[in-house]
Amino acid sequence: MENFLQAIDTLTIRFALAAVLLPLLAFVVNVCLPGKSNKAAGWISTLAILVSAVLSIFVFSKVWNQHQVHQQQLWFTIGETKLYAGVLLNNLSVLMLLLVSLIALPVHVYSTAYMGKDENSKRYFAYLSFFCFSMLALVVIDSLVLFYIFWELVGFSSYLLIGFWYTRSKAVLANKKAFIMNRIGDIGLLAAIAILFTVYHTFDIDQLFGANALVRTTAFELPGGWQYVAFGGIALAVAAKSAQFPLHTWLPDAMEGPTSVSALIHAATMVAAGVFLLGRVYPVFTESELTILAIIGAFTAFMAATIALTQNDLKRILAYSTISQLGFMVMAMGIGAYSSSLFHLATHAFFKCLLFLVAGIVIHEMQHVKDEYKLDIDPQNVLYMGGLAKKMPLTFISALIGGIALIGLPLTSGYLSKDGILIQAFEWSEGKSVLFRLIPFGAMLTSWLTAFYVTRLIVKVFFGEFKLSQINPGIKLHVSDGGWQYKLPMVFLSVCCLFPAFSLNPVLYEHAWLLNGFPRITGLDRVNIYHTIVPAGLNILSLFVIYWAYAVYVMDKALPFPEGGWIFRLSYHEWYIDKIYSKIIVAPVLTLGKLARWFDINIIDGFIHLLERIGIAFSKVADWTDRNIIDGFLHLVASIVLGIGNFARSFQGGRVQYYLFSMLAIILAIFLFKILI
Amino acid sequence: MIGLSDFLIVSAGLFCVGLYVILTKRNAIQVLIGIEMMLNAAILNLVAFGKYDRFNNGGQMFALFAIVLAAATTAVALAIILNVYKKYKTIDPNEIHELKD
Repeated sequence: MENFLQAIDTLTIRFALAAVLLPLLAFVVNVCLPGKSNKAAGWISTLAILVSAVLSIFVFSKVWNQHQVHQQQLWFTIGETKLYAGVLLNNLSVLMLLLVSLIALPVHVYSTAYMGKDENSKRYFAYLSFFCFSMLALVVIDSLVLFYIFWELVGFSSYLLIGFWYTRSKAVLANKKAFIMNRIGDIGLLAAIAILFTVYHTFDIDQLFGANALVRTTAFELPGGWQYVAFGGIALAVAAKSAQFPLHTWLPDAMEGPTSVSALIHAATMVAAGVFLLGRVYPVFTESELTILAIIGAFTAFMAATIALTQNDLKRILAYSTISQLGFMVMAMGIGAYSSSLFHLATHAFFKCLLFLVAGIVIHEMQHVKDEYKLDIDPQNVLYMGGLAKKMPLTFISALIGGIALIGLPLTSGYLSKDGILIQAFEWSEGKSVLFRLIPFGAMLTSWLTAFYVTRLIVKVFFGEFKLSQINPGIKLHVSDGGWQYKLPMVFLSVCCLFPAFSLNPVLYEHAWLLNGFPRITGLDRVNIYHTIVPAGLNILSLFVIYWAYAVYVMDKALPFPEGGWIFRLSYHEWYIDKIYSKIIVAPVLTLGKLARWFDINIIDGFIHLLERIGIAFSKVADWTDRNIIDGFLHLVASIVLGIGNFARSFQGGRVQYYLFSMLAIILAIFLFKILI
Repeated sequence: MIGLSDFLIVSAGLFCVGLYVILTKRNAIQVLIGIEMMLNAAILNLVAFGKYDRFNNGGQMFALFAIVLAAATTAVALAIILNVYKKYKTIDPNEIHELKD
């Protein structure tokens, strides 16, 4: 189709394909390896992703801020409809390609140490590679059908990895929950794709949403209601994959999987797929739909942040913070801050991945303590930790950098991206009614909440005294940062969390290189006062909040909200959303299931049993008839024949005189007969 | 005067006696005697009807042939009975029923 592609573009495409397919190759090789745990498995996967990352860097350098590369081939034909499939490399996809492979690389290295000793490590690395393949393919593919397929595959590999320790019932419940919730979103996406295809007769993402987007042309407007159905479907898909309200509850439970998986899939890459989808189909949305997205995002961000305040499970806190940050991204998409949203996606991926890796190390060491002293504790509970800063300095520093980036203090990447979103949120709400003002202010409040819970987390884990030693003085803590497989990824990700990775100017987000890759937006010009006030006010108050949290948790000042108050309980029980769901959805579904089972057993089975009994009765009648009437007739015939035979045989007795007598009798009979007639 | 019908009655009586002997006797020799009786009844008939052929005496001649043949068959039959006795140690016709089936 595009024969005029330059040779260099073909090379780019090939490199992109190789980057995508290498993890698949690693998956296949790992599956074929012998044994359950194989040292080679980890390194095969790591090597594949390393080469993928290098290729991605090359592809990125060739495509970023240059012309997009799009190549496709005829996939198959149904009737008149020709379906094309191919690779679409534009700024968005190469950014994601680079991001996913760069995040996956340290996670793989980390996993070789973290999961290498697991008895099923081969399966783990196979799944991990399979996930990387699905995710990389998802970002470069140009057909909505294939997009949907890979969308499903990332969900499926996430399901496999959440339930990696499938002997734990909690993990099995969690992966089931994640899968079912994602299915709800998948239905939405499928419906949206079907609607788009019905109207535009193409699955080509470039044609649909590219430079001359079909969805923007007035000739083919989606008819009235269908526009909203399509939007609803996409919103549902985004909400499920990116854990937005009301479909967010799977993500905290997904933390049952290995921590390295949480870092890669449930913090950095897969959950960002929802935001990526928004980025891909952005032109399809209308103004009012974007506002709905903004409201969903802002609400989710706020809600998740409040929940994170009181959780005690280390990974759960991080999970809720992920939900909150994803809410920021969705909100940014909603208010039109397209590039800022993707910018935040990129920065968030690095610092959240870093924080999860840190959490993994901490949990790993706590598990050691637990095993060594045979304690009955939850190794993920932050209440048992404390004072780990001295023991694991590098982990502490990494956590600090990650935490600061998450809060969004200056000098970090998080500052650049989050403040960009907030500033644009304020600009967006200007001139709108008071209700719209809630969104930027809510987001700002969320930022302060973030500052509070991040401080609480870091203080609980790294400051003060080791809590277990206080309870039980016999426990000696000898933990460390771990080997180079732990240190190297942390250092790499920490560096990526600092401002130089994204902008040479540490305070002004407008200068970030990443923002130049996407359609320029008005928010980039420092035209109004928000560009100064928002970052300044936000950060000064954030520092105050951090100090406050530090005061509360280190110096034991009184809590603002006493434990046990209704606000505390609301937050601690995660807004009761899970309970509500189990009351109004899960319980009725289970009841329905039981009802259906009862119906099945009593009515359907009963009917079948009735048929069966009738059948048996019929067959008994048939059996009787067969034995007595049909067989009886045959037996009758047989016995008649036998009787005749015996009668006839009796003449053949071999006794000569008897023969003679018979002969005489017959002759006499003939004579008598003749005489009588 | 003794007419043709008297001969025929005697012949028929002789035949019936012979037949009865053949059917009822439990000894092959007696059966053979019964056969001879029946033969003689037939021969008697031949002789009786011979009065209608006074010139050639065909009836008388045929009776002579029949007597000779009867003697011959009796000799053969006796030989057979002798052999049967050797094999079965009996000459009761009821015991010798291997002809059946």
